[in-house]
Amino acid sequence: MQESALLHFASHRLQEVSLIFMAVVYSVRLYWLMRFKAARDRQPRTGRLDTGPLKGAAYSLANIAMPWAMESTRTNLFYWVQFALFHIGVTAAITLSFLIPYAPQTLESPVVVWIFQIFIGAAFLVGCYRLGRRILNPYMRAISTPDDYFSLALLTVWFFFAGLAAPNDPSSGEGPLLAFFFLTAFFLIYVPFSKISHYLYYPFMRFYLGRSLGHRGVYPIRRSVMPNRG
Amino acid sequence: MNPAAQTRSHKAQKVIERLHKKLNRQMALSLAGCVHCGLCTNSCHYVLANPGDPTYAPAYKADQIRKIFKRHIDWTGRVFPWWVKAKSIFTDEELEELKDIAFGKCTNCRRCTINCPMGVDFATVNRMTRGLLVSVGIMPEGVAVVSKDQWEIGNQMGVLKEEYLDTLQWMDEELQEELGLSHSLIPIDKKGARIMYTINPREVKYDPRTIADAAKIFTLAGEDWTMPSEGWDMTNFGLFSGDDDLGGTVAKRVYDKAEELGVQKVVISECGHGYRSTRCEGPNWAGKDIGFEMESSVLTMLRYIREGKIRVDKSRNNVPVTFHDSCNNARSCGLYEEPRELLQLVCTEFREMYPNRAENYCCTGGGGAMSMSEYTPRRLKSAKIKADQLRATGAKIVVTSCHNCVDGLTDLIRHYNLGIEVKQLVNLVASALVVPEKIEVVAPRPVHSLKGFRILIVDDEPDTRTYLSTILEDAEATTLQAADGLKGIEQARKEKPDLITLDLSMPGLDGGDVFVRLREDPETAAIPICIVTGRPELRRLIYDKPHRPPEGYLDKPVSEETFLKNVRKILELGRKEPKSA
Repeated sequence: MQESALLHFASHRLQEVSLIFMAVVYSVRLYWLMRFKAARDRQPRTGRLDTGPLKGAAYSLANIAMPWAMESTRTNLFYWVQFALFHIGVTAAITLSFLIPYAPQTLESPVVVWIFQIFIGAAFLVGCYRLGRRILNPYMRAISTPDDYFSLALLTVWFFFAGLAAPNDPSSGEGPLLAFFFLTAFFLIYVPFSKISHYLYYPFMRFYLGRSLGHRGVYPIRRSVMPNRG
Repeated sequence: MNPAAQTRSHKAQKVIERLHKKLNRQMALSLAGCVHCGLCTNSCHYVLANPGDPTYAPAYKADQIRKIFKRHIDWTGRVFPWWVKAKSIFTDEELEELKDIAFGKCTNCRRCTINCPMGVDFATVNRMTRGLLVSVGIMPEGVAVVSKDQWEIGNQMGVLKEEYLDTLQWMDEELQEELGLSHSLIPIDKKGARIMYTINPREVKYDPRTIADAAKIFTLAGEDWTMPSEGWDMTNFGLFSGDDDLGGTVAKRVYDKAEELGVQKVVISECGHGYRSTRCEGPNWAGKDIGFEMESSVLTMLRYIREGKIRVDKSRNNVPVTFHDSCNNARSCGLYEEPRELLQLVCTEFREMYPNRAENYCCTGGGGAMSMSEYTPRRLKSAKIKADQLRATGAKIVVTSCHNCVDGLTDLIRHYNLGIEVKQLVNLVASALVVPEKIEVVAPRPVHSLKGFRILIVDDEPDTRTYLSTILEDAEATTLQAADGLKGIEQARKEKPDLITLDLSMPGLDGGDVFVRLREDPETAAIPICIVTGRPELRRLIYDKPHRPPEGYLDKPVSEETFLKNVRKILELGRKEPKSA
């Protein structure tokens, strides 16, 4: 069955315009960021000789893929697995938003669709859990803003419709596909103004911190080992 | 309420204006990039000791300054402030609340920073917040008093110069008696000394024994060292108060004195924030590139033992010892392996505490907390985490390389009845020292005198040979001359000079070949060589060779000052005494 004109618009023109909008806003955002002068470290190197600014920056950037590197993830692997599933889900849903309009044949294989649905479904469940945690945990409540709740809820709902849209079968009803693409468009426009834009800052933040702590011999962190006290 | 419609206090207005000026890219990122994931929460000792109180969570504390940033600088918060909890600041009472958080609920230990998946450096943001508050006169009284002392008297404990010099003299006399010597062992303002030793004023006020211990170690190591009469305080309250001007001024006092005395190295006694301030942050605050080395006394002591300059007997420290990593040393300067190596050399039973190194918990006295008595109950409550950590080791002594930590740990050990003694590495090294029967003390030598040194000048230009030999002989050195490479090699073999200055472009055997032959000949291989050439592009003749590079490399024309400075540096780097001496 042919897709409707509305679905074609939502999956093509609307996405393209939204992407261009996001790119423009992000460019302005980066310009804004670069207007702040970067601090310079004049000191000669300290600490271990087997590290340095470059190694520190590389370690810092890869930090999030190494759950053993930080005590906060090492002692809370459940959180790290959630994080991984959630972000894999985001990647899968974004990929889906390109595959459906531009490479629909990829989704003709049921196995491919299942893989997408499994990852996006897992991310949906994590999203639900995180929403509950943000509402119920007093520490999380104290630091949460309306944007935090809304962004998380938006992504969770987006996952839900992405999972339903994955088979890309308008003949079974265009509702999930329309919802997915309209949500994606909204998401692209909203993201630069919300906490979700953190991925734009991430490389800069990790680079600067890693460069500095590498220069000072702190990164890579030499982790504590629990001594055996017999 | 519309911010424009609400009256803002003068101080609040200034804080907002200065926030714009103080932000750099790293800070802006830390303020804009927090995702409120909450992973930092359990990394903070205040949170762990106050379960159920989210106001201690690092992200919550950071949000108190972040909301101002969002309201005035970031995007969304300027248009829809309620959506991102952006909020301006209007009254002095609000600034007082901010003070309570920035000074009273955080020691800037940076533990949350290394546990943040985004890399938000909350400690740096908190320091900036302190600086903003201090700039409008809002700070704990203790911070004001200490800052004033450091601005006006030159050290953070208000130690007067006479008091400082008297203490040094007192320790000098005690040490002379202990070692059975009858001349001064703590040189003051000795120009041209290799090392300038800087200390924490706490050592003068409360712990002068650490000065004597350090002096004993320097003396037995045969070190050419001095203590300055000014610029001796390596601590820096600018780190705690967030006042970069104070930080730069204090650091510069040390740097200026080191330059005035012409020392090669500044050794910083055991103090976490002093080490970080002088060695790491000081050049940034002072906007100055430093031309001499700086190191922690931990490294100096370790090197003396490794090189056999001092001998130690670890059986003299035979009770179980644990080590507390200072946050500033370990988490901000990477100084955590050397103290352990040193401890293993000077005590019989070292027990690691957990967690440790960069993951260690704060002593709870950091960030200037010891000077803010209004927060003492809060500090001691949060110290339970540290107390549990210490108790678990079963150690009788906790060693730390930081004076703040000494005070913080002493206080919490007393509060929690742990019965543990607090010491510094210098104390353990001093008590383990094996004092030789004969002690050789480095005799002072005039700064520019090269008396007793013999220096061979190899150059085909008579004018250059005359110029260089005149400079050297004016500095009391003995010179030898050779007009070509072959003669130079012959003289070097025969005379074994203390140093050879070598031209590169010479007829016949060029300087590169002479260099290789000198390095390959066992009789001349150890002689330091300083290249003095009018053709610096010929450096490949030297540096492409698979030999130890020359000890110096100067371009002609070379000034008298530069030439002498380099000659002296080479001769002293090699720790040479004149062969004729």
